[in-house]
Amino acid sequence: MQVAIQGPWSPLFGRLTLASIPYHTPILIATFAGVAVIGLVIVGAVLYYNKLGYLWREWITTVDHKKIGVMYIILGLVMLVRGFADGLMIRTQQAMAIGPNSPGILGAQHGFLPPFHFDQIYSAHGTVMILFAATPILTGLTNVIVPLQIGARDMAFPYMNALSLWLTTAGAILVMLSLFVGDFSAAGWVGLIPLTELPYSPGVGVDYWMWAIQISSIGTTLNAINMIVTIIKMRAPGMSWFRLPVFTWTTLSTNIIGLTAFPVLGVALGLLGADRYLGAHFYTAGLGGNLMLYTNLFWIWGHPEVYFLVLPAFGIFSEIIPTFSEKPLFGYTTMVAATFAIAGISWAVWLHHFFTMAAGPDVNGFFSIATMLVGIPTGVKVFNWMFTLYRGRLTFATPMLWSLAGLFLLLAGGITGMMLAIPAINYSVHDSVFVIAHFHCMVLLIGAAMFAAVSYWFPKVFGIQLDERNGLMFFWTFIAATGIVFIAMFALGFEGETRRLAYIYDPAWRPMLWTEEAGMMLYIVSIGYFARMLYVSLRDRIPVPADPWGTSRTLEFLTHSPVPFYNFAVTPQVNARDELAWRRDHGLEKTQPDAFEVIHMPCNSAIPFIIGMLAMAFGFGLIWRIWWMFGAALLGIVIAVIIRSFDKNLGYEIQPEEVAAMERNLATAGIIAEQPARKPLTEAEAH
Amino acid sequence: MSAPATSPLDHPEVRQASAWRYIAGFITSMVLMQAALMVTLHQHLPYQEYVFTTGGLALVALLCQAALFFGLDISRAQIWKSVSLVLTIPLFILSVGLTVWMFQSLAQRTMIMPVTTVQPTLLE
Repeated sequence: MQVAIQGPWSPLFGRLTLASIPYHTPILIATFAGVAVIGLVIVGAVLYYNKLGYLWREWITTVDHKKIGVMYIILGLVMLVRGFADGLMIRTQQAMAIGPNSPGILGAQHGFLPPFHFDQIYSAHGTVMILFAATPILTGLTNVIVPLQIGARDMAFPYMNALSLWLTTAGAILVMLSLFVGDFSAAGWVGLIPLTELPYSPGVGVDYWMWAIQISSIGTTLNAINMIVTIIKMRAPGMSWFRLPVFTWTTLSTNIIGLTAFPVLGVALGLLGADRYLGAHFYTAGLGGNLMLYTNLFWIWGHPEVYFLVLPAFGIFSEIIPTFSEKPLFGYTTMVAATFAIAGISWAVWLHHFFTMAAGPDVNGFFSIATMLVGIPTGVKVFNWMFTLYRGRLTFATPMLWSLAGLFLLLAGGITGMMLAIPAINYSVHDSVFVIAHFHCMVLLIGAAMFAAVSYWFPKVFGIQLDERNGLMFFWTFIAATGIVFIAMFALGFEGETRRLAYIYDPAWRPMLWTEEAGMMLYIVSIGYFARMLYVSLRDRIPVPADPWGTSRTLEFLTHSPVPFYNFAVTPQVNARDELAWRRDHGLEKTQPDAFEVIHMPCNSAIPFIIGMLAMAFGFGLIWRIWWMFGAALLGIVIAVIIRSFDKNLGYEIQPEEVAAMERNLATAGIIAEQPARKPLTEAEAH
Repeated sequence: MSAPATSPLDHPEVRQASAWRYIAGFITSMVLMQAALMVTLHQHLPYQEYVFTTGGLALVALLCQAALFFGLDISRAQIWKSVSLVLTIPLFILSVGLTVWMFQSLAQRTMIMPVTTVQPTLLE
């Protein structure tokens, strides 16, 4: 039975009224003005340069795994900036609101954020950073790189790949929309129960949070299926299991985690939805409900999600460290075994997120030992990287620096993680900022891997150098900022500061809080260098060869830079584990095929984009209880799926002479080149 | 597997069931779910038997759906899917088993009330 809600409701607009627009909040007005100006500049530039058709044909409707991957990364970077802005506001509020005499501005009693707004900001910060920044960036990287590493033309299901992207984008749009229409959840990124139940959060904030995650996680699950099938079925001839690059192995394991874990999140949120919309009692304290059921389900997904993020990061280090050590990776087989050991154990550790809940010492002891077991395969990996570095011919290019910094962050995050795995310590520091500093070391290690990967593979994908000078400045300022913010945070944790404080009651914490704020300012400088690095690189456009680093080892560096849209003119025959290194050793890295064959490619489709936008309308309708919008969007999705299922599009073919022409003039085949319209194959031609 | 690529429905791994299988699967699922609902609503069975009965009905429904909707078997076309499903069983046992153990421990330590007012856990 549908639950009655507080406040006005109309059939046309549901709960949406003018009062839902927060035009009385100066921060949001300023943010809206900024977003509107940036949006107008982008739209204006697209129209001025007449690029609307190009955007539609080559990007929005694309099914090319590289373009989809790049769009995932752009989405993730935009959300990363949003998440950073949230983090900056959290730190600034805590730096301002110290002690009873601290002044308040913009309607806040202390600092500049009233508690309800502050709660929304830390909830958004966690949600955005984990699910809408780190996850899309890593998914994007695996999308771009894995098919190239295994010698495939594209993903196994190119259409579904585009659908995954647009569902993730729909979720991200809902999160951004909550800034300007309504509000966001104030119950933390984990959805603290029973705070997320309707009586305690009667607004639309929890609904925004819930539906944004639900919709985007369907995209992530579909992507996991796609990636697993691609790795199993689409490998080039000779690419046997134990010739797979380690990044591909980690992608496989991470997507097995994704496929098995994300449905649990879907169930956890689905049951919460049943409570909020239908008056069910899954998570209520009475009437047969159980609060802990939610926490348990959330972390059954939540902890594997940590490894979902960290395993690709380990794969990235495993690619970059050998390249810049000019040696094969030490202990390949143990690296693969360690990857799957971590993935396996990841399913038996989730309860360490709530040791203090009151489970018995036997239960806590089991999960404590299981958590510590993760340290063994992780240790194997660290020693393998160190033995790869040992006596290597080291080059400290930007990707290598990010990777080495990642190892230090892994050490700091890992050791503090082992501390937290001990229930006795966990009882002492639970919900303190010590825990926050610990997991930020882990997510910043993932961040370091992401920046390592972007700087390592950017020249490959776009065919131009990334500016090294600004890249180095970005690296050093970012790492220095990380040290300043999180060393101070560890100290504050030991001093007893609890997490999520809108007001700091102990003025003794002021020096460390101001130190953290100084670190945040340095992060702003580092973002400036990142933007400058991109600007200088795009301005100068210094072309790079197929292997921009000269010492790369894996298959993706065999094809041209920028990578043609068909990836490889001729599907490569793989001869060794590090194929490019093997060919270089045998003097074969520059050999070209004698003749080209017909290349079969999938056609673009607008349906994934349409379904993504309908999914967003579906979520918006549910959030605001605009039932007609929800029903119409759902019907639209069903119709779009039916239309697609009857679409007999068989793809198109590129003839050998056209392939030869593009191989001679790579500018016509790269990622930013516009392709001429090609006719889809007919049934007769396909036979 | 060797069917032409132009018609997905010619591939046995894509076309998973026939019309009669869909109908049979639908009817079987309906009957089993209805049975579970009746058992739950009438509350005739003691707790232990109730849990095993509804759990058993759910398992049979799962197997019927796997066989009739998805056509899972050990043929060359379906073996990947069948193996994938079997591989989720340890995961299922791990997550559900540890959850049951945790809630049992939790109930003993937090639900200190007269026994008659507390619903027994699966391990009791």
